[in-house]
Amino acid sequence: MANFSTGDRKRKPKGDRRSTEISLVIRQTMEACILTHLMPRSQIDIYVQVLQADGGTRSACINAATLALADAGIPMRDLVTSCSSGYLNSTPLLDLNYLEDSAGGPDVTVGFLPKLDRVTLLQMDAKLPVDIVENVMQLAIEGCKAIATYIREVLLENTKQLEYRRGL
Amino acid sequence: MRLQNYGFRNFVGCGFGILLPMSGPVKMVGLSLGEKHFIKGGIDQNIRSDGRKRDYYRPIFVETGVIPQANGSARVRMGATEVIASVKAELGKPSALHPDKGKVVIFVDCSAVAEPTFEGRGGEELSAELSVALERCLLGGTSGAGAGIDLTSLIVAEGKICWDLYIDSLVISSDGNLLDALGASIKAALANTAIPKVNISAAASADEQPEVDISDEEFLQFDTSAVPVIITLTQVGRHYIVDATSEEESHMSSAVSISVNRKGHVCGLTKRGGEGLDPSVVSDMISVAQHLSELLMSRLDSEISAAEAEIGDDEES
Repeated sequence: MANFSTGDRKRKPKGDRRSTEISLVIRQTMEACILTHLMPRSQIDIYVQVLQADGGTRSACINAATLALADAGIPMRDLVTSCSSGYLNSTPLLDLNYLEDSAGGPDVTVGFLPKLDRVTLLQMDAKLPVDIVENVMQLAIEGCKAIATYIREVLLENTKQLEYRRGL
Repeated sequence: MRLQNYGFRNFVGCGFGILLPMSGPVKMVGLSLGEKHFIKGGIDQNIRSDGRKRDYYRPIFVETGVIPQANGSARVRMGATEVIASVKAELGKPSALHPDKGKVVIFVDCSAVAEPTFEGRGGEELSAELSVALERCLLGGTSGAGAGIDLTSLIVAEGKICWDLYIDSLVISSDGNLLDALGASIKAALANTAIPKVNISAAASADEQPEVDISDEEFLQFDTSAVPVIITLTQVGRHYIVDATSEEESHMSSAVSISVNRKGHVCGLTKRGGEGLDPSVVSDMISVAQHLSELLMSRLDSEISAAEAEIGDDEES
């Protein structure tokens, strides 16, 4: 995460606990999804640089990693999309920003495989009544599906551009 | 690739690399002997690999206001080298030695997105070298004399409250000539910087900390007329070139980075590389840098004002 990415300037851009934890989360989510047996004896490095953090940072990182992997042509089981949601004032909210996140309500991050309809990442902090958990998680999953549609459009557009440049 | 996700107010860059494990990571750009001769020969004949002459810069793109959370920011692209600089201002206490001056800290971070070798602590040495070189070029001596940035303009209440400017630069893509790009990005970021006006309550005795009221409405634009530009001249063979790519830098015998301000005065000098230089060559390099600085300064000024004007248009529309 860059020095200037958060409201208060961070001292250490690398190696701090939050960056390490987000890196671990991304690695585990991606490892489950990439078809590594198709690329034996090779190592895939994913480097993510956060330029500005305003809530939902790890979701943005996972979405960016998915797009970069697709751009590189790495075979994957499915697109991994991620979205966060929360619960403030008795209302489930989708995609909290930093202010809403620091308001004290729960923050649920979901990583989702849209085609296979499976949740790969689920993280939550703070308290949430048990009967509301399902709702909030479902809201995040809907957000993930919306992102997946958008990502697919972007990738198709990109492929069309490449085809055009190749003269097809 | 870069993903700007406007709907989520996060800006994330993502890079990629595939390593074939041999004995540690293999650098993808290894030059053969033929390629090395080609580069050297081209420079001798004043035609470099991308067609430039020895004293031409690559196309420069400047974008300002890229980090809305910062007081000022800029992104500069020179060819394939890309850097982002941000300026954050916080209130602090001036040092006892210089009660009439604010403080400026410059920090450079080399992102792993630029080079896989910058991961973790790999880029620390280069970051430290670049940070110190930039501080030398822009901030003058330890007494603060001759600084490109006027530190007295950062004072709020003499001896008690001053602005601390934290200039953070991030190298996103590295293709040579990092110092020039960083210098240009800092100049552009400072031009974009707006420091909020501070109202001090007048009724404060000499010992107390006065109450400060930081205005949300009024801002002061930073005066960047004295900020110098940095020109790096890289010696390859018997000639020196400006704005070297990383290929050309891998053959350099030595490089001299000179910062020159608007008046043509030299503000700082850094020599890198093991090869010794004849003093007459160094004087020649300085005069070449002074000549080139006028062109670079005017080019940067026009790019920066174009970028600032674009922001003005966006705000109006």
